Amino acid sequence: MASAADVRSILSLPAVSSSAAGPSQPKKQAASSTRKPEGISRELYSLIGPSAPTIAAQLAKPRLKQKPNFGGGGKVKWEWRSFKNAARSDSLELGHWVKATDSPNTDYKFAKYNVQPTTYEWSQDEYSRYLEDSQWTKEETEYFFKLAHNYDLRWYIIHDRYEYPNGPKRELEDLKDRYYSVCRKLVRNRTWAGDEASKGQLMNSFQYDKEKETLRRKYVSSLANRTPEQIQEEEALYIEIKRLEQNERQFKRDRENLLRTIAGIDSGLPDVVEDDATLIIADPKKKKLKGIDIDIPQTPVLTAPVMKRPPTLNKNAVYDATHCIIRNDPPPTTPATKVAHTPAYLRSFKIPYPKAATAAKVNALLTEVGVSNSRLVMPTVTNCQLLESVIDAATNLVELKKVLDKVNLDIEILKNRLDLREDGGDGASVGDAMDIEDRGETAEPEGENERSQSVMSARSTRSRKHTRRSMSISSVDTTAATSTRPGTKRQKRM
Amino acid sequence: MANAERVRVRGLSIFRPIIWGNSATLLTREEREKVPAEHTHKWTVAVRSATSAPGSDIVGGADDLSHFLKRVSFKLHETYPNPMRNIDKPPFEVSETGWGEFEVHIKLFFVPESGEKAITIYHHLKLHPWSLSGEPDSVPPLEVAQKAGPIHSWQYDEVVFNDPYQNFLTILTNNPPTPLPHAKTNGRTVPFHHANPTSLEASKGGVPEFTVLMEKDEAERLEKGKKAIIAEQEKTRAMLIAREKELERLQKMLNG
Repeated sequence: MASAADVRSILSLPAVSSSAAGPSQPKKQAASSTRKPEGISRELYSLIGPSAPTIAAQLAKPRLKQKPNFGGGGKVKWEWRSFKNAARSDSLELGHWVKATDSPNTDYKFAKYNVQPTTYEWSQDEYSRYLEDSQWTKEETEYFFKLAHNYDLRWYIIHDRYEYPNGPKRELEDLKDRYYSVCRKLVRNRTWAGDEASKGQLMNSFQYDKEKETLRRKYVSSLANRTPEQIQEEEALYIEIKRLEQNERQFKRDRENLLRTIAGIDSGLPDVVEDDATLIIADPKKKKLKGIDIDIPQTPVLTAPVMKRPPTLNKNAVYDATHCIIRNDPPPTTPATKVAHTPAYLRSFKIPYPKAATAAKVNALLTEVGVSNSRLVMPTVTNCQLLESVIDAATNLVELKKVLDKVNLDIEILKNRLDLREDGGDGASVGDAMDIEDRGETAEPEGENERSQSVMSARSTRSRKHTRRSMSISSVDTTAATSTRPGTKRQKRM
Repeated sequence: MANAERVRVRGLSIFRPIIWGNSATLLTREEREKVPAEHTHKWTVAVRSATSAPGSDIVGGADDLSHFLKRVSFKLHETYPNPMRNIDKPPFEVSETGWGEFEVHIKLFFVPESGEKAITIYHHLKLHPWSLSGEPDSVPPLEVAQKAGPIHSWQYDEVVFNDPYQNFLTILTNNPPTPLPHAKTNGRTVPFHHANPTSLEASKGGVPEFTVLMEKDEAERLEKGKKAIIAEQEKTRAMLIAREKELERLQKMLNG
């Protein structure tokens, strides 16, 4: 048994002098003082001696993977700074910890994530034309759209907060359906600035089938709400089905082999019809096997037309272009009725022309934009179509302006009536209102005003002269009207 | 088999690009001695294929159109002897001398295999140099006219055949048209057209030629116009919506 003194002598440790220490401390001291061999074993040290080259020591040290140095090694200074969020409408200033080295003027880096979906607004005219619905009143639709915009089209929140007084109960699918159908109708019926492809993409994004969606969500929720017993039952059924399938395949194989040995190769017995359920669940390997079984007699016929079709389509496009052929789909009712033959014509005869009612204004608009209204330099198919779309857009614009004018007129009349009420019955201003109407009609452009915008402003400046009383109320007409003051209205150009 | 001739290919229309119009030059001193005294110009009115043959000095005419054009008749002004000029073989054109501009009635007769009726075009014969502001009655003096060089007035067009008969279709596909060049060939100018007033400068002097560039250029102009109109539409619509709100507000004030 080694006593403390013996141990000390073995390790050639100096005699302990401190009295308060227990047995552990001297050992510790002893351990630390002679732990000179760092990284190399003690035996080696005692062989080599204290002048062991440090390289050896370092090499012997296990070179473990260095831990990555997070936090800058404790040398980075952080400071508390207040900042403004560009995405907020109020100028709330909050504070956060920022590295002292960061430049103080950079924008708040999360401001750019404040994306909002495009809002869709409509005019009364558009509503009555396209957006009427038997189950949605106009007010409810407006309430809904305001809500949808406030809540960023987050459907669950909208559905939860949706509370229209005296309205029917609206399910989530109802809301989505109404929203998407309104957007679709608006996009389809307004003239579109870009090309057809981008319009098609936008339309696709608004596809919403209410029936399918309701069904799908019901399925998903029932899937998520299965009880454990139901899950187990399903698993058991699944396993059984696979077993049955396997049996069936085995049976088929055996039968085929038997038939082959008895009746010769390719005896051609019709395959056993397997129902759709098994086809869907089959895993790839078995599917391939089944595929080979069924398709062998049919392969040479099937692949040929499939392969031929793509190359011939390409050839047709080039062929059509070189021969100037245009194909339209024949109308579906062709065979029975004898289609009257449209005679040959020159394409310049069929250049689209604006319809009579708005023709004058549309033509004026076209000349303003620099487009000829009746003749094309190169009347090709594409150019004719383009011209047609330009004329459409121009017609729409003219109609919009008409409606805008009417609304402006209504506003003026209403303002007058309000004045009437305030001033207690003054017949003169009513007469003024009638005046405005008449003058409004004659001020319709004959194409001699500089800009078609000035038409509207001309009338409103005129009306302003007569109903000066309403100027105190009017908060409108601050933009375009004020710039074209009287003097530009009726001047003839050239 | 008689049936094959009378079967129409449905759902298909095939067109051929052509140009029709006239070129005119002033008569030189020597030439004027051979013609009636008041004639000042010699002109040629023609119907040709749209693509110009390389190296030729006429507008268009690279392809022979007789595979679908049987005859072209030009009805000139009645002061001309035999005003009805029928041309039964290519080149489908009439050259004459004269002093005044008038309307030529051009009638295109198609080959019988097409089963199509004739088409009439009215072309205003252009003798005097183009001008933008359109003073129709002023005839520029001789020196100005001589400086301007030959005058061209051509219109690009496409003859469209709908649901052609099978054998006519074969005739047409056996004679595909030379496609229009994509870029301007050197030495040729751009044909002038009233629908594109900016081309006046580019059309002076030289022989004009129709190119795909012209088509693309026009398409661009149409697109630009459309975009401008749509931008205006958006503005008007936004204003309309704002006004309607205002109207509603006023109405509430009135009723409430």
